[in-house]
Amino acid sequence: MASISSRRLQKELTEIHMEGCPVGITLVKADDFETWWFTIEVMGESVYRSEVYTLQFRFEPNYPISAPAVTFVVTDGRKAPLHPHVYSNGHICASILGNEWSPVLSVVSVCITLQSMLASCKKKEPPVDNDRYVRTAPDNPKKTRFVYHDDTV
Amino acid sequence: MGNSSSSSRPHDESVDFGQLVPQGVYTGPRDWNQSITAQLIIARRLAPFYRPLEDYEESWDDDQILAARKALSDSETEQLPPPPPPTNKKRSGSLKEPSRPEAAVYRHAVECPICFLYYPPNINHSRCCDQAICTECFVQIKRNEPTATHLVSEPAACPYCVQENFGVVYTPPPWRAGIASEGGGSPWSDSPRGSSPSIDTPYPTHKRRQKSFGADSAEVVLTDHIRPDWEAKLAAVRAAVQRRANRRIIMRQVGDRLIPVGVTSGRVHALTPEEAAQAEAASTEGSGSRRSRRRQQQPQNGNFEQFMGMGGAELEELMIMEAMRLSLIEHEEQQRKEAEQKKKAETAVANNDSGASTSSVTASSSAPQPSPSTLSVSQPTSSRSRSPSPNPLQVLKDTASGWRRRTSSPPPVTLSAALSAVSTASAVLNSTEIETSNSTPATPTIIERNTIESEQTTAPITNPIVPVSSPTITDTSDAATALEPQPTIAPYSESVPVIEIPDRPVPSHQDSMLSAISMASSTGETYDNLPSSPESDSSVDREPLLTPPAAATPKNVLTNAPITAEGYFGDASAAAE
Repeated sequence: MASISSRRLQKELTEIHMEGCPVGITLVKADDFETWWFTIEVMGESVYRSEVYTLQFRFEPNYPISAPAVTFVVTDGRKAPLHPHVYSNGHICASILGNEWSPVLSVVSVCITLQSMLASCKKKEPPVDNDRYVRTAPDNPKKTRFVYHDDTV
Repeated sequence: MGNSSSSSRPHDESVDFGQLVPQGVYTGPRDWNQSITAQLIIARRLAPFYRPLEDYEESWDDDQILAARKALSDSETEQLPPPPPPTNKKRSGSLKEPSRPEAAVYRHAVECPICFLYYPPNINHSRCCDQAICTECFVQIKRNEPTATHLVSEPAACPYCVQENFGVVYTPPPWRAGIASEGGGSPWSDSPRGSSPSIDTPYPTHKRRQKSFGADSAEVVLTDHIRPDWEAKLAAVRAAVQRRANRRIIMRQVGDRLIPVGVTSGRVHALTPEEAAQAEAASTEGSGSRRSRRRQQQPQNGNFEQFMGMGGAELEELMIMEAMRLSLIEHEEQQRKEAEQKKKAETAVANNDSGASTSSVTASSSAPQPSPSTLSVSQPTSSRSRSPSPNPLQVLKDTASGWRRRTSSPPPVTLSAALSAVSTASAVLNSTEIETSNSTPATPTIIERNTIESEQTTAPITNPIVPVSSPTITDTSDAATALEPQPTIAPYSESVPVIEIPDRPVPSHQDSMLSAISMASSTGETYDNLPSSPESDSSVDREPLLTPPAAATPKNVLTNAPITAEGYFGDASAAAE
């Protein structure tokens, strides 16, 4: 029996292939059960209109018990969205990726949540502590203990 | 199946065709309490660990169901129990299609929303929002481990509705099989309603509950129930943090400088700021006479609360420290009162009826024998009487003071302190050799034994010991003269005799010190040695650790008092006064 993460991810992948991703979300690659890429785009009216961002998921062997490490891809000309909860290194300050992760969530549900996080943003601006955080941030955002200061955005 | 409840090997057993141990869905550490979990499964309060189906279709027949039961990875298969053996009960012939209950249990299988695998419909449901969760996933859900920076442990939240204190409720099937199936009989052959997991009697579909169960309901199994150690873990992390915060640097005052000599382990309880200030004030207070300082500190001695929680070994260590400390004081007092001592010693010698013993003592000084071997006889005494300044006992003092500063957290003998105590012994040894070398005429055999003894007993050196006649010493006549130059030696050199050793508590103390050392090093209760500082006479703390000197039984140093722990304390104080 394969590990829990690959088995569950296999099922999530099957479902994505069968039912497709929600609007604005596209699977870029899922060649293995360690790293998946998606593009997300905010549909409709928003400050991110017609901007496409790339999300990277990295999975630990005990996914879904442990949360995936989700970041915006900031290499090869890709950029992270300018957003109060998104650092310029691609790290995302979102509670569902940290202490509010639930094993019931899935890759697609995370995509939808982040998409709506962008959609509800009224003003493009970086996190107040962006420079300081980016200077010292670990590679894996899961090693950061974010303080979720603002639930409104 | 049948009579299985008596088996002693639970993992060979099944409950309602499921197992008591996980079936390998998760590969991480099994950090829950497996025996509690197994008990809950047997009690039908938690669904057994069923081998999950990778997929499930209602139309499948038994073979398809059994084929879908996931093969476990090779490594896991070996350690996992075999699937429940097929029941070849008598009625099997008469049955309709699904004759195999181990397949039938999967009828109307339910997909666990977390691992996406299919389980028999008798699956756990969250107490709060009535969502299905298999036992494999349930045992994975736990509190976040507390860390040094995050000293709280919140109960695990429901993965579905995020309500605190996640727990599940299990509704067992109407039939029973395996462990604790009543009467040990086959559930389907005997039970009235033919209540076997067959297609005829499908597991009643789970009706959505109207109410949720409280976290304290009897039916509910909480994540904390199968991880009862969470509190201990939290306490351990907190204690570690506390310990770190309590760590103190041990300073020794040299002149007006403070020199760090070590770090406390911060174990038991650290000095409160007030205590620390008090201790500091006491130790640095003026350079008045030692006696006056002692007197000032006496009030503190009345407080024994700090020793209340101590075990015997800790207390023993403390006592030895105290003995050492008192011996230092005694030593110093003795130096000052050499003249008086002389007189007393003489009287003691006179009074001593043991005859040979008295003389034997003194013999040493009269017959200078430079050979190094001879020294050992007088060692115990010499440490006391030795007045010359290069004073090995200073080491002892320092050690004692180091201990004293940590009185509030005494049990962990600090490594360096203990080591220095040990080295003190050798220092004493060496120094005494030099000083006393000309004084002892002892025979070689005695010397040897005495050496051993003195190595073992750093602290008790000062004990007045009943003069014992030592056959080896022949020169009685010299006793009086010997006393003149080094009067104090006389009574004490008698203490050397090997005969006395067994009666002395010391060797065991020594043991406890040694064990304390190894304990300190092995537990990682670090005592960091800092560069040692130069000797200083002035700064040593002198408060007694245990007995207020006044309370101790005063004894004349020279009396033939039996040697007991009280003996030395009493003697020490008497000598000091």
